[in-house]
Amino acid sequence: MTHQQHMKSDISYKEVNEDVVRTMTKSGAGYYIALFLSMAGVVFLWLLPWAYQIYTGQGVTGLQTPVFWGIYLTNFIFWIGISHSGTLLSAILFITQTPWRRSIYRSAEAMTFFSVLTAAIFVFVHMGRPWNFYWTMPYPNQRQIWLNFQSPLMFDVFAISTYMTASMMFLYFGSIPDLAAVRDRVTGWRKELYGALSLGWRGTDAEWHWLNKAYTFFAVLIIPLAVSVHSIVSWDFALSKVPGLNKTIFAPYFVVGAIYSGSAGIVTLMVILRKTLKIEKYITTNHFDKLGMLLLVMSLLWSYINILEVFTGWYADTSFENEALKYRMFTPPYAYMFWLMIFTNTFMPLLLIFRKIRASIIISLIISLGINVGMWIERYLIITTSLPRKFLPYMWHDYSPSLTEISMTIGSFSFFITLFLLFIKLWPSVSIYEVKEDIGIPMKKEGH
Amino acid sequence: MGKAVLGLFTYVDDMLAAADKLKKSGFSGITIFSPIPLGHEIEHVLGERKNYVRYFTFFGGVVGFFFGTLLAFGTAALYALPRGGRPIFAITPTLIISYETTILFGVLFTMLGFMLFAKLPSYKKKVYDPEVSIDSFGLLVDVSEAEINDVTKILKELGANEVKRVEEK
Repeated sequence: MTHQQHMKSDISYKEVNEDVVRTMTKSGAGYYIALFLSMAGVVFLWLLPWAYQIYTGQGVTGLQTPVFWGIYLTNFIFWIGISHSGTLLSAILFITQTPWRRSIYRSAEAMTFFSVLTAAIFVFVHMGRPWNFYWTMPYPNQRQIWLNFQSPLMFDVFAISTYMTASMMFLYFGSIPDLAAVRDRVTGWRKELYGALSLGWRGTDAEWHWLNKAYTFFAVLIIPLAVSVHSIVSWDFALSKVPGLNKTIFAPYFVVGAIYSGSAGIVTLMVILRKTLKIEKYITTNHFDKLGMLLLVMSLLWSYINILEVFTGWYADTSFENEALKYRMFTPPYAYMFWLMIFTNTFMPLLLIFRKIRASIIISLIISLGINVGMWIERYLIITTSLPRKFLPYMWHDYSPSLTEISMTIGSFSFFITLFLLFIKLWPSVSIYEVKEDIGIPMKKEGH
Repeated sequence: MGKAVLGLFTYVDDMLAAADKLKKSGFSGITIFSPIPLGHEIEHVLGERKNYVRYFTFFGGVVGFFFGTLLAFGTAALYALPRGGRPIFAITPTLIISYETTILFGVLFTMLGFMLFAKLPSYKKKVYDPEVSIDSFGLLVDVSEAEINDVTKILKELGANEVKRVEEK
């Protein structure tokens, strides 16, 4: 691949340091208002309803026979899905040495970590008795509740905790040189903090060498990991016998959907970041052009798998499969949601074929938000249109989420936003050293 | 306490030329500081470095695989849960568990390898100039008392902006 210019070439190394440190140390009133609102959202929309649910019992949710998986698990899959692009994309683009990765990957990786965290908390919310979570931990115990390693839910425990650990380390080790650069430029408590976090990094040739080698291995290990994580999440459903869930296509369907929604999440986040942090010179329309192409490809893949899923179910022509499809595609309110999803995820992204649309930041933002609305609906439909229509009609029962569940769904967005707002002040959200690499190595003689 | 000389350069090619010259004159304790990774450029001058981290990654992966297998099979062995004629020791689901632990331990051992070889974390005071995290490229050369002036001269001739005498602990 030829080297392309992704930023204005007249940026100096010093300017990069100053700009990134500025995003961390200077915050206006707007920042504090946003932080206050999002934290209030966490308390009132998430923590208090959760406390109410724990105090009263799971009866405050809309869950009842036969639907015991509802909006909480929708959110769980949604947030795991969002997490997928950050680290995965960063790893793939690192290995293929794609230059436009450099200024966006740090916040994309943070997005991964925070959304896995949000997703993991939904498991606890769903659990009902969250203080018993340690029953899923793999250690021999005295209560004779031995873990069943043949259950997809157990696979999930391993997959998610591995993914969380690995994506955290990928984020952290890639940031060490930048934490050192920040350490050299701040004072007071910040100096102490970044001094400790940067582990005493000095930028010697040996340190760079080993960091590069270790980072490459992280990247190589994370790609199969990310694919396995969403495959395993899909097996929570696909390894059951429920019509509409027992599908062989589910693992790739989920992986593609996850990368799709994650990439859309990156676009949304980049639009907001570049504006609010005033880093337009590092994240340019060229980045949106490339991300737009990626979204287009993922959209086509996702639509293809979606068509296949419906087609194979319809072609089988069994009464329960037909019922599940009819319920999902032609019964209100699910029909409205289904066709809205098809509109936002299959038709709207087709606009990205045009270069002008990809270069327009506001249209990119609208399309990316639409995609994530659609992806949330997809996960909601998977759960809520399958379980209420099991084999025998006497078991049929519709599910509708209660106010507590809806409130916690909105609260999870507050939680994610709070974490991200804290992140942009505590962590260099644009990679200093890799942006410098993009600018070029300073040589006296021409010819680089 | 070893004596050393630190030269700060603006241009990478100047700095590498100086490193090359000093290496050819027989100085072995050369350390390069840079704000960006310069892997290939440095290896041309100072020679190739081996990649020992990969042994850690591989070993971690192997350990992780056996850890996962042992955990799943061990639990089944300690308390057999018969479920409708299904195997007590099921291979397929165990492979999924060990797949995850292979990656988990691979990542953890890679991290360990990195810290060991890069000698991090290290909070002792060492030779460092904050300029090298902005836009300067540093060349640190271990010298004896007698060589200080020669090395300083070479560094200055080859384009160093600033040359400092430093003490290494």
